[in-house]
Amino acid sequence: MPKQPTPPFLSPVSPDSQQDFAFAFLSILFEGAPFILLGTLISGFIDIYLPAGTMDRLLPKRKFPAILVAGLLGIILPVCECAVVPVIRRLVKKGLPVSCALTYMLAAPIVNPITALSTWKAFKGPEIPLGPELSHSASLVMTLSRLGLGFIVAVGIGLIVARIPLAKILRQRLAETLQQEDEKISPSHEPHSCCGHDHGCQGGHSPHPAQGHADDNRLVAAFRSAMRDFVDVGVYFTIGVAITALFNTGIAPGAEWLDGLAKNHLVAPAALMALAFVLSLCSTSDAFIAATLDKFTYGAKLAFLTFGPMLDVKLLFLYQTVLRKRFILWLALGLFLAIGAAAIAWQAAIFSLATP
Amino acid sequence: MNPKLQRVIFSLALIVWGAVLVYFYASGRITKYLAPDFRPLSLAGGLGLLVVGAFNLLTATQQASCGHDHGPDDAHDHESLDVHPFAAFLILIVPLALGVAWTKDAFSLGSLTRKGLLDSPADASSLFLGAAMPKLTKEIIEKQHPKNAEGYHAFGLMELFFSSGDPEMRGLVEGMLVETEGRVVQDPDAASPKQRRLYRLFITCCAADSRAIPIIVRFQGEVPQVEENTWMKLSGTIRYPDEGAGFIPVLEVDHAAEAPPPPEESFMRGNY
Repeated sequence: MPKQPTPPFLSPVSPDSQQDFAFAFLSILFEGAPFILLGTLISGFIDIYLPAGTMDRLLPKRKFPAILVAGLLGIILPVCECAVVPVIRRLVKKGLPVSCALTYMLAAPIVNPITALSTWKAFKGPEIPLGPELSHSASLVMTLSRLGLGFIVAVGIGLIVARIPLAKILRQRLAETLQQEDEKISPSHEPHSCCGHDHGCQGGHSPHPAQGHADDNRLVAAFRSAMRDFVDVGVYFTIGVAITALFNTGIAPGAEWLDGLAKNHLVAPAALMALAFVLSLCSTSDAFIAATLDKFTYGAKLAFLTFGPMLDVKLLFLYQTVLRKRFILWLALGLFLAIGAAAIAWQAAIFSLATP
Repeated sequence: MNPKLQRVIFSLALIVWGAVLVYFYASGRITKYLAPDFRPLSLAGGLGLLVVGAFNLLTATQQASCGHDHGPDDAHDHESLDVHPFAAFLILIVPLALGVAWTKDAFSLGSLTRKGLLDSPADASSLFLGAAMPKLTKEIIEKQHPKNAEGYHAFGLMELFFSSGDPEMRGLVEGMLVETEGRVVQDPDAASPKQRRLYRLFITCCAADSRAIPIIVRFQGEVPQVEENTWMKLSGTIRYPDEGAGFIPVLEVDHAAEAPPPPEESFMRGNY
């Protein structure tokens, strides 16, 4: 009986493929791991030490300025997308306007110093021509574009959300809890406005400094929280790096197909947004993955870097702890179309500037 | 899982990551993986991981409070994960262990082909790499490429590669006696049995984003019998013939000798 050929997915990995995978995998991992540690240490200490009322106090009372400021709060309260969802869940319960909370949730993983630093480092080196005699470093162009687009999209979503009833945005149980809290608040307080102080403490999150040994224990708790965040992010990062290494070295089936998509200026941003959705990378380290996708345009990479921190597989599950499924669906569609269109327009502008 | 056991295995995972980063830095192998400005960061990250892992390991049994209420409908505990802790541990450790076991600190020829090793050097004017090169002038050539004892100007392979895309530079360097170094490999597209490719890698940030930088070399005399990927120092005359695909850099080799790899085997951003 003739021997049947072994299917490709069952065939043993060749020594060359092992060598290539290992080299690419380790190089990306070595590059990104320090930034993940930095991000998770900061988020771990914020998690334990930052009083929940801080954010309330930082926001203006009027809605529009409050949404704008919420889009920039990541600069002083930097958290990645994994850490931000539990934070805004607590803040919404404490009366933070949902529009401000969602703006912060979408913007903070991008508009923060750690993400800016890692994006800067990842794209250091090449120049992007912006005219016959003018060029700027890819670091500067990509960092500013990423932070700018992330801010604009987050604020835009916040402004839209401000016009939608809470019952259509928040999970039913959370919306009902907020409604009950509103009914308890005295008439002198406007419901869900940024009044600058905590609304009662039922289900709250206020510190208890008088408890014995609190400070010692909180240091241990902060390091544990940082370790939890590192492991949480590290798991997705490791999977993402492994998949990227397989595509980078041409081992993965479909690598040629993905390369083919890179040449299509309309499809490439969509393909990389889909990749960002699947990879579920942390915003503190995803730039290092994007920078290795050298067959894709900077515009497609911008879409990858903006869409990923706002929506991916793990966020899809995390969002369901706060938001209604129907709203998440509309949010996903809106983000995909808005970021895709912006990335295509951005790339077209770069081409037109570079071409005399 | 028992919270104390979870803390112990997570601490060990962080210590393993930290140890690998510190080992690659201390052994010097990190130079094959990262551009120079990322190397101190990898050491700092490795040491930081060791400190955080050791701290959590030593305090794994200690009671700790985050110091704030969690409320009746807020069950966060600062330590729970989306995935099972043991699965998370395996995901962190197994690929890293396989990577360390499998790596040879270099790509295979198959992967280098994907990274441009066999592309025509006439395609050198890519936005990415072309923009990374400094502008070259005759003054720079004379200042930076003094003759050696045999009368050959020492050139970096990357300069020869990119000079083919610059008409002025081509005119200045055409016919010049030059010496350069790189790894020698077979050229499957060669019309002559005496033709090979000489290449080095160019790294922007890390090895994964590297590109192969090849030129064509044609031996005037006997082709040296060396293994693929052997480091060689070649000297001869540089030409830029247009053989149908644009101007390509071709070194007509007079002398060839095996050479030790340079301290930085790859070209790094800002260091070519």
